[in-house]
Amino acid sequence: MTKFGMILGVVALIGAGWLFWSVRGSVLGTPATGPLLELDLEDRAVYQQLAQGITSGDPTGTIGIIEFGDYQCPGCGGFALSVKPQIDLALVQTGRAYFQYFDFPLINMHPHAFLAARAARCAGDQDLYWEYHQELFRNQSSWSGRQSAVGAFLGYAQGLGLDQDTFEGCVKSDKYADVVTANMSLGQEAGVSGTPTIFLNVKGQGLRPVMRNDFQSIEAAIESALEDLETAGN
Amino acid sequence: MSEDTTVLHASSPPLNRMVIAVLSMVGLFVALYLMAHNLGLTGPIVCGVGDCGTVQSSVYAKVGPIPVSAIGVAGYLILLCLAYLGVQPIHRESPVIGAFLFSGSLVGVTFSAYLTYLEAFVIEAWCQYCVISAIVMLLIFLAALPEVPRFIRRAS
Repeated sequence: MTKFGMILGVVALIGAGWLFWSVRGSVLGTPATGPLLELDLEDRAVYQQLAQGITSGDPTGTIGIIEFGDYQCPGCGGFALSVKPQIDLALVQTGRAYFQYFDFPLINMHPHAFLAARAARCAGDQDLYWEYHQELFRNQSSWSGRQSAVGAFLGYAQGLGLDQDTFEGCVKSDKYADVVTANMSLGQEAGVSGTPTIFLNVKGQGLRPVMRNDFQSIEAAIESALEDLETAGN
Repeated sequence: MSEDTTVLHASSPPLNRMVIAVLSMVGLFVALYLMAHNLGLTGPIVCGVGDCGTVQSSVYAKVGPIPVSAIGVAGYLILLCLAYLGVQPIHRESPVIGAFLFSGSLVGVTFSAYLTYLEAFVIEAWCQYCVISAIVMLLIFLAALPEVPRFIRRAS
């Protein structure tokens, strides 16, 4: 074989290897780790129908606290571990507001965020969404830098006592990829550009952005919204 | 006549055509990767810099019903075949292959320049694989330039 033929062959081999590595997820049936391109995201009706937040508290309440979050985002981790427990205790459990989480994985900078969002929803199939949600944020620094986070995600499920086969089957499929993709589009429509982004969903008035993510600011925004409602009622 | 043929067969393969063949192979795989992404086979496009998702989901990612990446695959494949054929002993001096290589690369580099313009000023987002493809096509065009005096000489 000539030197030219060898060089051409080596380039072909490297290229074929790279291409196979890139598409192996689809070819070998490994998990969906990114948005579904086949969804018509230009069509508002499509994603509005598919988008789905996970709610704690009474979703028919007057005030909802809406978070658009990314499991690989350190800011969201800080919010989940320090602010959300206060929201649960002081606002959700007292019935003053409900909390709703929408996925907004920043896929260009966080390669595991989309899969993490799906994994949390898979845990939700076994009624442990919020426990898994907190587990992901608690261990964020441990799985975030890994080449593959699947093993870590399966481990957290095992730790929480989830049925392993069901959870693994869900994670290693494309289940909820459509919902997470739709949530991303919903966030874009709402003007979300970073995470965590917090809104108040005020009954009859729609979404109001909350400028700061600390508990005091959220509580103050709720008070202000309730006062506005009262004024409007009079 | 037979003496000419002997000389012709003994000449070394044109370096520029070998370079075009290797570059076309590189470009072919970049275009195949983008096509796999269009088909939804790669998940999120992996970009160190830029925003391939925006570029690939823009209206400019297709010409009619045909994805731009598919046009790229066809273009690189044609250039690869021509260049490979052009280094074979019987075609090393062929002005026809030289003319096709030059005109093909000219079309390719013009189309690439147009796509790069769209990324810079219309879509306002960069896809690193599209940029790599544009650079590869520019290098192919530069490597095809020595073909011009060859086929002009033959024609005259």
